[in-house]
Amino acid sequence: MPPADTSLAANAPSGAEGARRAPLPSPTAAPPPTPDPPLLLFEQVSKWYGTVLALNQVTLELTGGITGLVGANGAGKSTLLRMANGQLKPTLGRVTIRGLDAWDWRARRRVGYCPDLDAFYEDLSGRQFVWTLARLCGYTRAEATERTERVLERVGMRERANRTLRGYSKGMRQRIKLAQALLHDPELLILDEPLSGIDPIGRQELLELFQQLASQGKCLLISSHELEALEKLTNHVAIMARGRIAAVGTLRQIRDLLEDYPLSVRIDVDQPRELARAVLALAEVQAVSLASGDTPGLVVQARHPKRFFQAFGRLVVEQHVEVHRVEPLDESAHAILGYLLGGSGRT
Amino acid sequence: MLPTHPQSVSRACDPSPVIGFAVLMAHSFQRHWRVRQMGWVAFGLLGLVVTVVAVVTASRAGWDLPDRRVSRTRITYREYAEQLLPSERYFVRDYHDDISTNLAPQAPWERPAPLTPTRDAIQNLLLTIPYVVLQSEPFLRGWGYMLFSKWIMLRVYLGFVLPLFTLAYASAAIGAEREARSLIWLMTRPLPRWAIYLAKFLGTLPWCLAFGLGGFAALCLSGGEYGRWALAMYWPAAVAATIAFSAVFHLVGAVFSRPIVVGVVYVFFFEFLVALLPGSLKLLSLTFYARSLMYNAAAAAGYPVSRLDVAEPVSSATAWAVLGAATVGLTLVGMWLFARSEYRDDV
Repeated sequence: MPPADTSLAANAPSGAEGARRAPLPSPTAAPPPTPDPPLLLFEQVSKWYGTVLALNQVTLELTGGITGLVGANGAGKSTLLRMANGQLKPTLGRVTIRGLDAWDWRARRRVGYCPDLDAFYEDLSGRQFVWTLARLCGYTRAEATERTERVLERVGMRERANRTLRGYSKGMRQRIKLAQALLHDPELLILDEPLSGIDPIGRQELLELFQQLASQGKCLLISSHELEALEKLTNHVAIMARGRIAAVGTLRQIRDLLEDYPLSVRIDVDQPRELARAVLALAEVQAVSLASGDTPGLVVQARHPKRFFQAFGRLVVEQHVEVHRVEPLDESAHAILGYLLGGSGRT
Repeated sequence: MLPTHPQSVSRACDPSPVIGFAVLMAHSFQRHWRVRQMGWVAFGLLGLVVTVVAVVTASRAGWDLPDRRVSRTRITYREYAEQLLPSERYFVRDYHDDISTNLAPQAPWERPAPLTPTRDAIQNLLLTIPYVVLQSEPFLRGWGYMLFSKWIMLRVYLGFVLPLFTLAYASAAIGAEREARSLIWLMTRPLPRWAIYLAKFLGTLPWCLAFGLGGFAALCLSGGEYGRWALAMYWPAAVAATIAFSAVFHLVGAVFSRPIVVGVVYVFFFEFLVALLPGSLKLLSLTFYARSLMYNAAAAAGYPVSRLDVAEPVSSATAWAVLGAATVGLTLVGMWLFARSEYRDDV
């Protein structure tokens, strides 16, 4: 899985991922080349719709890999994606694509956008639709034809693209939307709910395609309600709540920052009662209970997961405990989202 | 499993915004071949008006004066003028038989005065004038042509046929895309927003001209000889008005989410009524300048233009300048507004 190269949101919990530190320049050496501006940069961006605050001082930087964007309905995900694509202007702050204002039409050369809406030119075939959009990008007929065939093959629609769009299933329409986003070979792909309505096999194919694209150096920003699918694709997420980015980083990093919510860890051992006594003595452990089920074990609730695992490791070595399995129970995106959003984690 | 493509699509051929612009023009033209609901309304009204004009033209009276009936009587102007000749006036009539003999009642000043020869001579001379006038071919042709011009060209064509056709087509250039929520496919192409607005306008303009001038031709050709004169004399004004109205309604389609409602209100309360008002308010209506062009064309050809009821017409140069400036100005305003507007129709 390609790692996402993403720096922190300013309003996210600190420490999820360290800022890259540039080496000190040598006094005799030639000045280092200016690094490329970030692929996507939100700088203190706020957006009002009338009196409704949709985005609240969001700062976000993406430079590569796959980033999942999750959050409840109305959290501001679509607004953020549409700003990244230059469809909306920030009320305050700035959104840039490689240093160019996202509103600038030239920035759209670097961005492919797969919207959530399900509206097409229904009388066209899938192939005609993609070809038309390729031509509208400014390609010659030959180039547009070549690119159309490539992207249709890439999304697995080459053999089925001659039917009119109105006869397509939801999954086929999603693939066509994805195909048009890939036409101009963008560096940044913004995908709004790309897995919605796609069957499990198609979903797996698209997940593989996303991973291929990321491995080719593309940056993907994917909004999805399908947390399980997102977890398969990337463990790097940006979590939005009430117009803010509540957290950004890997799921583990975000989980570690949630000190108010003790981590639940299931530990399978042969003598759980003895281990429970020893574990309770650790400072990080808040509660211990015996695990239910056929396999003997216990469930530990611990704060400061990193320190807990270090202490637990020492304990295991010192007391020669035979541990069969250690499994964090609430490191999933669902659980983390639930903690962050104060609910069940449903998006 | 999806086919793998280790090489991304070539970046060798950068898209050209000029090609994109030209393709968008052609795309806009192609998408407008279908007549939408408002187009059918305009067609229906045009069909009705053409039928009425054809019936009037084919009738015995036609657009000419001699065979038209005098108000509130059953006799024609020709009959009335003949009735005023001395031979008719001295005819002893039974006033109770006026209806059965198809004669108008004789007014006191029409009655013969044989006992006062001087008065009778002057009376005969004056009352012969209508008959003499009705024998004048230039007068009759001018009268009929001005009647046709006033009602069919100025009132019917400029009043609502042309505005409705241009409203139906020009407002749909962007309005239909917004309604179908397909504007996003254009807005995500690497094209300047102002270019999208301009290309949509230029792509739709041929349809506006085709239907606007087609309606003009249909009305003219149904009007017989006078219609053919009107077609030859007024077509420049029709072209100028069609382009100017197209610019107005293209802007309306881009600015308002319900352009048809706004357009119909504009047509009937502004272009139709305000253009007829005396005073300076009419200078704000485009119809007034098109009427002035028609008025000046008819005046230059020596027709009795006072019958056209155009209050204080401007010179042709002024009318051309205003219609041209309005077209260019409104298009520039539209490009400026469109380049700054956010479209959230898909939200």
